[in-house]
Amino acid sequence: MFTKKIDTRMKIVLLLFLFCFVLVVGRVFYVQVFDYKKLSDLAEDLWSRNLPIEAARGLILDRNGVVLADNLTTTSLVLIPNQITKKKEVSEKLAEILGVSVEEMKKHVYKKTSIERVHPEGRRLSYEIADKIEALHFDGVYLVKEAKRYYPYGNLLSHTLGYVGIDNQGLSGLELQYDKYLTGKQGAIQYFSDAKGNKLALSDIYTQPQNGMNVQLTIDINIQQSLERELSNVVDMFNPDMALAIVMNPKNGEILGMASRPDFDPNHYQDYDTSVLSRNLPIWASYEPGSTQKIITTSAVVEEKLIDLEKDTFYDGGSVQVENARIKCWKAGGHGAQTFLQVLQNSCNPGFVKMGQLLGKEKLFSYLDLFGFGEKTGIDLNGEGEGIIFPLSRVGNVELATTAFGQGISVTPIQQVRAISAVLNGGELLTPYVVKAIEEPETGSVLLQNKKKVIRKTISKETSKTMRMALESVVALGGGKAAYIDGYRIGGKTGTAQKAVNGAYLVNNYIMSFVGIVPSNNPEAVLYIAIDNPKKTALLSSYTTTPIARRILLDIIDALKIPKQEGGLEKDYIWSDKVYYNVPNVIGKTKKEATELLEKFEVEYSGSGEKVIAQSPESDERIEEGATVKLLLGD
Amino acid sequence: MKKKFDIPLLIAVLILIGFGLVMIYSSSSIWAEYKFQDSFHYVKQQALFVLVGLFLLVLLFKMDYHILYKKSNLILGLCFLLLILVLIPGIGSVRNGSRSWFGIGSFGVQPSEFAKLALILFTSKYLSGANHSLKSYKKGVFPILLVALLCFGLIMLQPDLGTGIVLLMSIIALLFIAGIDMKFFYIAGVLGVLGVVVLILIAPYRMDRITSFLDPWKDPLGTGFQMIQSLYAIGPGGLLGMGFLKSRQKHFYLPEPQTDFIFSIISEEFGVLGVLIVCSLFAFVLYRGIKIALHANNLFSKYLAFGFVFQMIFQALLNLMVVVGLIPVTGVTLPFLSYGGSSLLISMISVGILLNISKEQIE
Repeated sequence: MFTKKIDTRMKIVLLLFLFCFVLVVGRVFYVQVFDYKKLSDLAEDLWSRNLPIEAARGLILDRNGVVLADNLTTTSLVLIPNQITKKKEVSEKLAEILGVSVEEMKKHVYKKTSIERVHPEGRRLSYEIADKIEALHFDGVYLVKEAKRYYPYGNLLSHTLGYVGIDNQGLSGLELQYDKYLTGKQGAIQYFSDAKGNKLALSDIYTQPQNGMNVQLTIDINIQQSLERELSNVVDMFNPDMALAIVMNPKNGEILGMASRPDFDPNHYQDYDTSVLSRNLPIWASYEPGSTQKIITTSAVVEEKLIDLEKDTFYDGGSVQVENARIKCWKAGGHGAQTFLQVLQNSCNPGFVKMGQLLGKEKLFSYLDLFGFGEKTGIDLNGEGEGIIFPLSRVGNVELATTAFGQGISVTPIQQVRAISAVLNGGELLTPYVVKAIEEPETGSVLLQNKKKVIRKTISKETSKTMRMALESVVALGGGKAAYIDGYRIGGKTGTAQKAVNGAYLVNNYIMSFVGIVPSNNPEAVLYIAIDNPKKTALLSSYTTTPIARRILLDIIDALKIPKQEGGLEKDYIWSDKVYYNVPNVIGKTKKEATELLEKFEVEYSGSGEKVIAQSPESDERIEEGATVKLLLGD
Repeated sequence: MKKKFDIPLLIAVLILIGFGLVMIYSSSSIWAEYKFQDSFHYVKQQALFVLVGLFLLVLLFKMDYHILYKKSNLILGLCFLLLILVLIPGIGSVRNGSRSWFGIGSFGVQPSEFAKLALILFTSKYLSGANHSLKSYKKGVFPILLVALLCFGLIMLQPDLGTGIVLLMSIIALLFIAGIDMKFFYIAGVLGVLGVVVLILIAPYRMDRITSFLDPWKDPLGTGFQMIQSLYAIGPGGLLGMGFLKSRQKHFYLPEPQTDFIFSIISEEFGVLGVLIVCSLFAFVLYRGIKIALHANNLFSKYLAFGFVFQMIFQALLNLMVVVGLIPVTGVTLPFLSYGGSSLLISMISVGILLNISKEQIE
């Protein structure tokens, strides 16, 4: 039949079309099974709107867990313009509550955006204002909780901590440096909306914000508070240009405290000058160290076995001639004949010129390199200085002489502390650090743990031991007497450096410094304190910085629970010094016997009876001559 | 005794139309509420067309369709006239960028839809009369092709590519089954490919248009927009679907979801099951339609039945393949299911004639 061809071709079309239907179903199946995840995620992004919930920033803690940088919860205003039905009314009311113009508010309310923040008027609202907005119950007007950085101790450790901006972003100091860790992960309330931004009647999804990591420091709050208190006193008393202090554990490089003046309150950093904000003096400042540098010169001489501190002697006639320069001793007429240990105790410049000459310039400067002067210490803080050391080619006899007693080179405080720590700890030059660990607050897992890092060996253990003894003698017998603490072995060295500007030394403008070590037989802490251009004071560090250092050392002893030591050098008393005695045990003695035993002290009795049944202070405590001992009498 | 006809075909079509009404409600209610404050706006209009369509279906089922054979020249002539008239501003109105409508109140009539039917009618008559002259291109093939291309050209002036393609392909399919040499299709195929190549060489951006359906994310707000929105409906629906009325893409994401992209909403709400049912219904309509054509007792009704079935199913496949991202967006409605009066009416008229033809065979 002639239609057979037609029918065949129609069947071909039928099969072709059926195949196409299979293709369509197959394609839908493919899209719904294999592309499901990808498309769902993309579509979810399209359908959902997020109301962000800010994560709390990680805390910054001291070594004992005391919070130095905390968070306060505040409330912020968030608008979803598409959901606001009564736009005009909302604009007017919000403008009134927030104290902005209605025109300004309308810009926010009518903005074509999914989520609008009213910035900055709507940020960090007071409870009062937040309550007022809450009470209006407007659609599309939300109040979200935000965490705001708060520094409970104000100025304490401000330069090291740094500060954050309005969006909690780290802007300086540790806040900037560890921003990545401190910043948490934003959470959100996710709701579904149509393409016009209206909320759909589907349940919201809450994603919890993930708080930032906690940063634990090596800083000890008690030591830090002591430094801050004393520097504040220094400012009050001497009105210096600058003042700074560092405490470091010489055994491992942990910074226990560091402070500087001028300082600032990171809660209100906007009120301060950028030069104040940016200069973390203990690591940034660079100046001629003066006599504290003599510790390094002495170490070099001892290490090279050029002199025996106790046996070799030096005669100081009051000055020494080096080429065209006459270098004077600070003591008019000189110290006369003395051992080199006494040279250190007396901080006698001509004696150090001699040491420099014994070493020669190559040796002396190689020790400067060895102790890390002229290079950054690598402390985990921004803004570290390098200091300036003469290039060897430009060192003549005069430079050699002055460098030996700490003039003519420029170093940073942290370099000095690190070098002196190396002298004390058996010769290890360490990298100082302030961040002890970074911890995930919920799980407590540790992301980063800083440990002692040795850069190189400097001097031998024996030299180090000799130096510890020598520095103890400076406090007990030499220029550091005012730092002496009875019952503890304290080492130290004073420094008074003349300040130079444009190559000329300034008149009556000094940096007074002091290095303190506690306990000197087994150092737990090295303190360095420097006061730049103190006014109204004697121009000797022994009178200016040393008493301050002593108070800080006492606080360090308390904070680190350093036990009393035996076998220390007894102080070489001068008439004004107080004498200390052990209190004898008088319990069980009669009143008369007790009075005789306690002849060096004032005695106060209480109670009635024949015999002493209790005493305060207890036996073997060391107290000043003439101090009061209380006794309780009974039968 | 009552005359018998293809009842299963009628049932399948009625199910499709009924499901269409339900889905038009589901997909359009949000837009309708937004635009007209009446979520039933589109359903009500479509229901009215369904009633008119049913009337036409019954009418064409009952009448002697051979009248159409006699009047086919007149009908086509009328359609040509309307196709020209609709292009004149002031008479034809523009919707969605095409001047293809005669607006009557809120209703619109598309003459191109009716032209599709009229051309099939005309071609069927032509082919049934000129069976032997098809051997000659000059006398048999070219004249009818010329008529079809003229019609295509007029529709392209609106412009309405989708309808144009459906119309042209239906005529080519009729020529195919009428038994033209395969050589003709080879040559036409080569010419077509050459034409596309030349068009792309002239303006390379056309290539992007063609490939954008492969990766719609290349231009997510332009050519890829509809494709992406459609995939966002189909994909997240998953195998089981979101559930009836639970589509999210209909919330203003997919523009006019009740028209060309109603199938996206079906797969979003009913998953692969809904897709399978809709495709099966169309495949069933195809099968019954071809069966009617196979058993047609004269050449004219054979061509006519095939032409109508082909046109309906080709358009359906064109729509489905666009919606699921197998071919570039062309812009045709899904017969029976999409919102749209003219489209529904001609589909129901086609079914009426098909059922009419089926009557004779069973007698």
